[in-house]
Amino acid sequence: MNYDQSRIRNFCIIAHIDHGKSTLADRILEKTGVMKLRDMTDQVLDSMELERERGITIKSKAVRMPYTAKDGQEYVLNLIDTPGHVDFTYEVSRALAACEGAILVVDASQGIEAQTLANVYMALEHDLEIRPVVNKIDLPSAQPEVVKQEIEDEIGIDCEGCPLVSAKQGIGIDDVLEDIVKNVPAPNDDVDAPLQALIFDSYYDNYRGAISSVRLKAGRVKVGDRIRMMAGNREFDVTEVGAYLPLGYSPREELCAGEVGYIAASIKDIADIHVGDTITLANNPAAQPLPGYKPVLPMVYCGIYPADGADYDSLRDALEKLRLNDAALSYEPETSVALGYGFRCGFLGLLHMEIIQERLEREFDLDLVTTAPSVVYKVIKTDGTTQFIDNPTNLPPVQEIDWMEEPCVDAQVITPQDYVGAIMELCQDKRGTFKDMKYIEGGRVLLNYDLPLNEVIYDFFDQLKSRTRGYASFDYELKGYVRSDLVKLDMLLNGEQCDALSIIVHRDRAYPRGRSIAEKLKEAIPRQLFEIPIQAAIGGKVIARETVKALRKDVLAKCYGGDISRKKKLLEKQKEGKKRMRQVGSVAVPSEAFMAVLKMD
Amino acid sequence: MIEFMKPLSLYYHVPFCARKCAYCDFASYPGREGEMRQYFDRLLTEIRRWSVLTDFGLLSDRFYVKTVFIGGGTPTLVDASCIGEILDHSRFIASFADDIEITVEGNPGTLTPEKLAVYRRAGVNRLSLGAQSFDDCLLKFLGRIHNAAQIGEAVRMAREAGFENLNLDLMYALPGQSMAQWRDTLDAAIALDVPHISAYSLIVEDGTPMAARVASGEVILPDDDTVNAMQREAIERLSKAGYGRYEISNYAKPGFECRHNLTYWQRGDYLGLGCAAHSMLDNCRFHNPDSLDEYLAGARMMDFQRLNDSDILEETVMLGTRMSQGIDLSLFKNVDNRRLDRLVASGLIELDNGYLRLTTRGMELQNAVILELLEVLGC
Repeated sequence: MNYDQSRIRNFCIIAHIDHGKSTLADRILEKTGVMKLRDMTDQVLDSMELERERGITIKSKAVRMPYTAKDGQEYVLNLIDTPGHVDFTYEVSRALAACEGAILVVDASQGIEAQTLANVYMALEHDLEIRPVVNKIDLPSAQPEVVKQEIEDEIGIDCEGCPLVSAKQGIGIDDVLEDIVKNVPAPNDDVDAPLQALIFDSYYDNYRGAISSVRLKAGRVKVGDRIRMMAGNREFDVTEVGAYLPLGYSPREELCAGEVGYIAASIKDIADIHVGDTITLANNPAAQPLPGYKPVLPMVYCGIYPADGADYDSLRDALEKLRLNDAALSYEPETSVALGYGFRCGFLGLLHMEIIQERLEREFDLDLVTTAPSVVYKVIKTDGTTQFIDNPTNLPPVQEIDWMEEPCVDAQVITPQDYVGAIMELCQDKRGTFKDMKYIEGGRVLLNYDLPLNEVIYDFFDQLKSRTRGYASFDYELKGYVRSDLVKLDMLLNGEQCDALSIIVHRDRAYPRGRSIAEKLKEAIPRQLFEIPIQAAIGGKVIARETVKALRKDVLAKCYGGDISRKKKLLEKQKEGKKRMRQVGSVAVPSEAFMAVLKMD
Repeated sequence: MIEFMKPLSLYYHVPFCARKCAYCDFASYPGREGEMRQYFDRLLTEIRRWSVLTDFGLLSDRFYVKTVFIGGGTPTLVDASCIGEILDHSRFIASFADDIEITVEGNPGTLTPEKLAVYRRAGVNRLSLGAQSFDDCLLKFLGRIHNAAQIGEAVRMAREAGFENLNLDLMYALPGQSMAQWRDTLDAAIALDVPHISAYSLIVEDGTPMAARVASGEVILPDDDTVNAMQREAIERLSKAGYGRYEISNYAKPGFECRHNLTYWQRGDYLGLGCAAHSMLDNCRFHNPDSLDEYLAGARMMDFQRLNDSDILEETVMLGTRMSQGIDLSLFKNVDNRRLDRLVASGLIELDNGYLRLTTRGMELQNAVILELLEVLGC
């Protein structure tokens, strides 16, 4: 089909978790024929094993679909998938910026939920045409008319002619496609202006190098062009442009304004591609980059070590490979007395951290030991210099510290009215400062707090979820550093300090945290030949103590005649167990213990 | 000639029993008595195979037989003439030492004066009896076929037949067993004045009826402290009665230590024949199949493994620390003395004249101590 902007529709799908976003995407792919039924595995767009298992979308993708509408005209539909978690808010906003419309999927029996609203607001911020779709109408508990009314009342979107579908059963998919063609505006971009391509995603392909997923907002780009990354300020020669099909690439001669696709340019390092950056032509550059670029900064750090020291090289290779697909991941080597050689890794947030850990363990079959997550603290020293600390071990001695500052976030919680009290209590517990409270549509409240990031990464999400039965949604933005009374909390095992267990906490929190970590360690450390005192200390002063009692009995009564194989097997098992332990002085600490102290109740 | 030769221990397995005990997961096959003759024919053939030139050369050129142990199963269940045949054939593997120790293992309920007389004539000079307990309720619970009275009866019968070197196996840490019951059993065994007593704490093996009963909560095992207390009770009572603890679970009057079992722990050469029997010859380990069917079908010498120097050191620690004599420290070249001293200071090991041995407390924790020792001794 020839290039005709009026026949292009760029859209995304937004939904509360579990309202059927991925299933609807699958049906659309199937209906437009880009996927044959036999190629379909459930949830094609979520191709990473982990994504499918967790039912979340981690990286965004885009698929181009030809569609012949009922008016007899041929259209090109570009479905841009968006990640669904607060850690990836920035990536979501870039994906939305690549669209003109958004399909809002609402569950016919659940109705509007917290995330529905949060998504709608974000789409509205990007001036997207929002097209509601009521899904799961096949369920016995479905009340499509009630839900339609709810959407009209609470969000203020007209639901006249809104498609009623069952993505699972394949009902009403045609209506959705027709609705997109009719109501999502075509792009209206200037194809003759200098190139402006918005990068909304990047990843690494073994044959093509680092690849940018782009939406052209102006101009055109073809193979052989020399392109420039406007924020990254690097230049490359284009080796391939094209569109995405669900199962691969569809190379084309050129991409033009209004289109969605990819640009490959033999880029070796994924770090040269920044999501949100604008690609232009080197010899005919755009005057301005597209708005909204923000460099990605890691917010949360933790140490990642191989459980078996011999796996250090494998861990480094694995991190290198993951970073090729995830420019937001950063890492550098570090050493710990307790854990040996490993890496200090930076993440966008806690979920990002968990996902990377899981991918390392699952896709690369590595056993890991992970230290408590930490934020980056600012230390103003008595000699007037400033130092940034992302690892508690590197904190200078107390006498060299004039004062310390910690990162603070501007947090927004949207919640049904009933939970306001619970959330205020939680934010208070987390050293939050109340800023503002607003009533919004549908009996919901928007709470605004300043919170120390350090408290947010601790167990804020879990607490928020449990205290609001999952109804509240949460978003935050880094605000800056504030002065705070922070101390380093050390853990001593049998009198020896374990560097991997040190954390930086607010002085008021130190005592309960120390107690709680000591208790967790007591549970996690198995009985050994000696009694093991566990102590929590601040600057040498012990504030909590627990004891792991010594083993009582561990012996095989009988060595079965000349058959020593059972004894040998037991010894091998014990050695294997010991290999999974870290020696801290005279104490063997299982890998799980380092994780256990992170999981607080 | 004999002083140039190495000692060899022979083990023969008899996989037949009147009934399977509730805790037993050894190779024993009650109900297959009909295959006894066939089994012994196969066993005698196997003995003859080791009497001629083998992969290990002609054993009689290098070895003399120091001990023979006929274990099971219940060897005393089978026709006594089979025991005689085995011993007669054994002399062709290598010549018997003058002071050879020949043990037959058995169950108190299966002994008769006639059988004992046959053993005696065949050269058997030691009997090991599975007494287990002197409490009839506990014996029933364990699934044994004998009662307490039959133990004394068996000892008397054995003595009348001329056997002085007798062992009684006892068990403790049984579900529901009280300290008083254990004391009574110890006292009853001591009163019989046998020169050797083994006291094993119950090991619940997967797949046994006992394991099922424990898993279902029908019976409850005593806690570690109780088990340790029972063991210490045994050490104390037996020591007062003149029995020295020479291995974790074995006690003997001076000179009556079981020389056959010492071979295993001291890593001497031994050849095990019959179903499920294990061997170590010239630092090679191998064994016959556990399954009676496979053995009868001709399977032999499985899992052949040649031990290297580090295997040997590891085994030396693993087995040597079971004995009160301990292990010879001069065998270990990379000892971490600081950590060794810590183990001494914590009362887990003792150093004596170049030997390292576990203390009473160290033996209670043998598994964990050897794990530490392997590192400390640089294995």
